[in-house]
Amino acid sequence: MSDAGFVVAAYGMILGGLGLYTVTLWRRLRAARDASLRIRREAEAAPPPDRSV
Amino acid sequence: MTALRADAAVAWAIARKDALSELRGRQAVGSTLFFAALVLLLFGFALGPDSRRLTEAAPGLLWLAIVFGGLLTVARLHQLEADDGALEELARYPVGRRAIYLGKALAGLGAMLVLGGLLLPVVAILYGIDVAGAWLPLLATLVLGAIGFAAVGTFYAGVTVRMRAREVMLPLLMLPVIAPLLLAAVKATSAALGGDPFGELGSWLQLLVGFDVVMLVAGAATYGYLLEE
Amino acid sequence: MRVRLMGIIGLVGVASATAFGLFVVPADLNQGDAQRIMYPHVASAWLAYGSFGVTALAGIGYLWKRDLRLDAIAVAGAEIGVIFTAFAIWGGMMWGRPVWGVFWQWEDPRLTTTALLLALYVGYLLFRRLTDDPARRAARAAVVGIVAAVDIPIVHFSVEWWRGLHQGPTIGSPDRIINPSAPGQFIVALVGMVGAFTLVWVYLMIRRYQLARIEWQIEEHGRLGRISAARRAASAPTVGQAEEGAR
Repeated sequence: MSDAGFVVAAYGMILGGLGLYTVTLWRRLRAARDASLRIRREAEAAPPPDRSV
Repeated sequence: MTALRADAAVAWAIARKDALSELRGRQAVGSTLFFAALVLLLFGFALGPDSRRLTEAAPGLLWLAIVFGGLLTVARLHQLEADDGALEELARYPVGRRAIYLGKALAGLGAMLVLGGLLLPVVAILYGIDVAGAWLPLLATLVLGAIGFAAVGTFYAGVTVRMRAREVMLPLLMLPVIAPLLLAAVKATSAALGGDPFGELGSWLQLLVGFDVVMLVAGAATYGYLLEE
Repeated sequence: MRVRLMGIIGLVGVASATAFGLFVVPADLNQGDAQRIMYPHVASAWLAYGSFGVTALAGIGYLWKRDLRLDAIAVAGAEIGVIFTAFAIWGGMMWGRPVWGVFWQWEDPRLTTTALLLALYVGYLLFRRLTDDPARRAARAAVVGIVAAVDIPIVHFSVEWWRGLHQGPTIGSPDRIINPSAPGQFIVALVGMVGAFTLVWVYLMIRRYQLARIEWQIEEHGRLGRISAARRAASAPTVGQAEEGAR
């Protein structure tokens, strides 16, 4: 592999990896926010859980 | 000064208690020693039969066997209390957390010295190295290495004592931290056995001392947080 | 949102720095095109170590203040740190092969220390995942992070000593040492990449921190739910017995 190949491999992996991580982070954040919203709606509809812990 | 004396007394009491448990549970101790010797034997099969190569590799293989045996040892020393819930009991006493840590580390040191001491003749026989000629620097290396391993091992055994997958988490957490100790101990052993041609033995022993001091301080300072609920 | 704006600026920054480093800056006189790998490699390494510092400091802060937001910062630093550490190692290997001739060089203290940094990070994250009790997890993780951070300078120092005292050949030949033909542009490219990466890092840290906070809230809710469910289950039989007695 010529030098250029290594350069491409380096930049590709690093920038690609950053992009991939960012996208998965967005997905996880969205899923967590949805779950949190769902819990809050349930809490408003039903009696709240026993807080005397 | 009396607080220090009390701490020392507590540490010594804990160390004695652990040592007695070790002596009573001789099968566990013996199995660990046998395991480490077996590892040395297996290294021979893996890297042999060229005895020259084995002789060159001997310091590294010795310390690897000490590390593997040591992992089992420090785990065992913490398991005794964990199974009986005695660690929580210890934590309730108004005793210095430092003292508990130092006591257990002292017990660990003793166990490691026994391990290393018994492995030296095994290495001498299997890999054809002359141990007797350099016994003093070898002993110094062994002691300093054992102190460092016990300091780090006691800490991480405390970290992993009641967690899931602790058999793999203890080595996984410990081994990266122990890398400089391994490096220095092997270099020092190698230098000692070779008559120290480059005069580097002192430097490596210094590194070991530095490692030991830093890890003992860090372990003593943070062990208390492991005992709280 | 200001955070989103920062992210966009960071993205643009990385894109421009990449274009600049790949196409505008002339090739190095000794290392050729391979030297261009330095820009993202150094940037990643700087952030890898910085993240670990953040995790360790956040851990100390948590042990002192017991504020779970500090624990959220710690886990964000660890997860993002492990990513940048992997990048730094990968970049180092991709650079090493053309310049040294080998992917790995034991005597290079930066490469070996970074590999150990990766191991410490992975251990920290696994430890967190395998500790169930959230209160215990924050305190113990803080302690694990602190001891790991203390180890890093020792590792670096000892590997340097390892190389220095070893009587073998030096790493590579002297004529492979970096020699930029346009030093000004080289510095601009390097500083630009580091700056852009840092912006991206801040953006990711904020997002990961937010995720950690929400996940903790979900976890707490689940925990409280299980406790009250257990309480209801514990009191149910007596209700049944009372009905039996009344019949």
